[in-house]
Amino acid sequence: MKDKRSILKYFPLLMLGMIGILPLFMTSNYYQTICCQAMLYAVVALGLNFIVGLSGLMTLGTAAIYGLGAYTSALCCTKLGMNPWAALVPVLFMGWLIGKGLGYPSLRVQGVYLSLATIGFNEIVRSFLTNLEWTGSGTGIRNIEPYRIGDFAFDTQIRSYYLIYAVLLLFIGIAWKIVNSRWGRAFVAVKDNPEALQICGIDIANVKITAFTLSSVFAVVAGAMYAHFNRYITPATYTTDLSISFVVMLIIGGLGNFWGCIYGAYIVAFLPQLLRPIGLSYKLIYALIMMCLVVFFPNGLIRDMKKYLTFKRALKGGAASENNSQDR
Amino acid sequence: MLEADRITTYYGNACALREVSFEVNEGEIVSIIGANGAGKSTLMKSIMGVVKPRTGAIRYKGKEILHFPTHKIVGEGIVYVPEGRDVFAPMSVQDNLEMGAYSRPFSKSQTEELCEEMYQMFPRLKERRKQTAGTLSGGEQQMLAIARGLMSKPEIIMFDEPSLGLAPIVVDEVFERIKYINQELKISVVLVEQNAYMALTISDRSYVMENGRIAKHGASQELLHDDSIKTAYLGM
Repeated sequence: MKDKRSILKYFPLLMLGMIGILPLFMTSNYYQTICCQAMLYAVVALGLNFIVGLSGLMTLGTAAIYGLGAYTSALCCTKLGMNPWAALVPVLFMGWLIGKGLGYPSLRVQGVYLSLATIGFNEIVRSFLTNLEWTGSGTGIRNIEPYRIGDFAFDTQIRSYYLIYAVLLLFIGIAWKIVNSRWGRAFVAVKDNPEALQICGIDIANVKITAFTLSSVFAVVAGAMYAHFNRYITPATYTTDLSISFVVMLIIGGLGNFWGCIYGAYIVAFLPQLLRPIGLSYKLIYALIMMCLVVFFPNGLIRDMKKYLTFKRALKGGAASENNSQDR
Repeated sequence: MLEADRITTYYGNACALREVSFEVNEGEIVSIIGANGAGKSTLMKSIMGVVKPRTGAIRYKGKEILHFPTHKIVGEGIVYVPEGRDVFAPMSVQDNLEMGAYSRPFSKSQTEELCEEMYQMFPRLKERRKQTAGTLSGGEQQMLAIARGLMSKPEIIMFDEPSLGLAPIVVDEVFERIKYINQELKISVVLVEQNAYMALTISDRSYVMENGRIAKHGASQELLHDDSIKTAYLGM
């Protein structure tokens, strides 16, 4: 029992290490591209975790925020001739703005209405991006320049991979700090016990808006990274489908589970690609697998796997491990 | 210091408080006694801005606070320890305490110092500092709720039924601490209690509530010997 525990303790490090050396085994450009996408998804999921996972507010407009990040950065570079790094400043401002803008309605609308309102936001953004002339309408924006450091351009798959990996590590660090700060505790309390939160002298509105702002900042940065990595963006990417996928990542990883966001993102990014060889019906199979994951592992894949394992052991070993299943 | 002037509060169409006037002076313990549904908790919640009175005024140090949101009222220095404890069950004892200081601009070391003070006052919490609050006993949760309230360094602390559901020996301990908070920490205390005898013995002044009104008020020692109170609340 004891060594099993300590292995699980090192699981996050193991996972990050594996992500670090993955390109050595996956040499195809195609899979490396998907890896990059998965890492960006993980950044978005880490941010979304503040709202959906910790505070328990179900928002379905993340794809639009991700898209606005991508468009802001791409437009700043192509139309205004800004350096991609400098474009991160307007991108961050955009994230702050969206966070405030979305945070305020969330104070008034709750539960399923918040989900509907954010779906509305997602669709509005998408239709604007599809129809506005200066965002390139349906064809989107091409020839976006990659990030550069001096003469070194992050223009190949493998170079982008490690740039995005660095960004992922940075955001994991930031998110970890936030989750374990007083902010993180306040987010949990919004879901758990809002009355007591008020009585502690904490403004619930403020906490919610902070969660939204942090989350959209994560999403816009990931979006900008995506624009300069893919070098071509179209509005068709930023559908409500993608928003739902972000939430699915969190659910597969376990709502509120920090490291779950990361493997959740990988599963959602990779599973459809691995199923593609099946042929036309791959989306159906994908949907079925997702349903099974949600039904049988509602608290996250790893957390519930642990539970099933201890349960099996309890059946074998009698009552000895009964109290272990309690202290999960 | 704190003064409620003829406040009237409704829940929907039901009138819960009718022109209640109530006052707390610096350094005293004021108790509010009364039966279930008399409006004791509603009065507390009206002061805290959790429910909004329709008419009347609430002043704190001469400042009108009736329209303040709850967190601002806490910021002014009034803290409410709600009925049924209401601790953050999934968080550790330590984190619960730190949540109490959230609204104040304390530095890390100041917060640490305050926590240490709380642990000195409630040694049992220190033993359990890493445990989640949901696993504590009722008495320990009550202590934690009190300590969490004290973390924001209030000037008035209001306790809503602190003895609810606790074993008699633990009740004594809780009242002991309340007296300590008043005498040593110099914090004014408002005490809402069903345990009328306890409340009257510990407090300086008392209000008796009936059907959303103040039926009687005065020095606790006098009320303790009042015949109508003896029969209605003390069972003598």
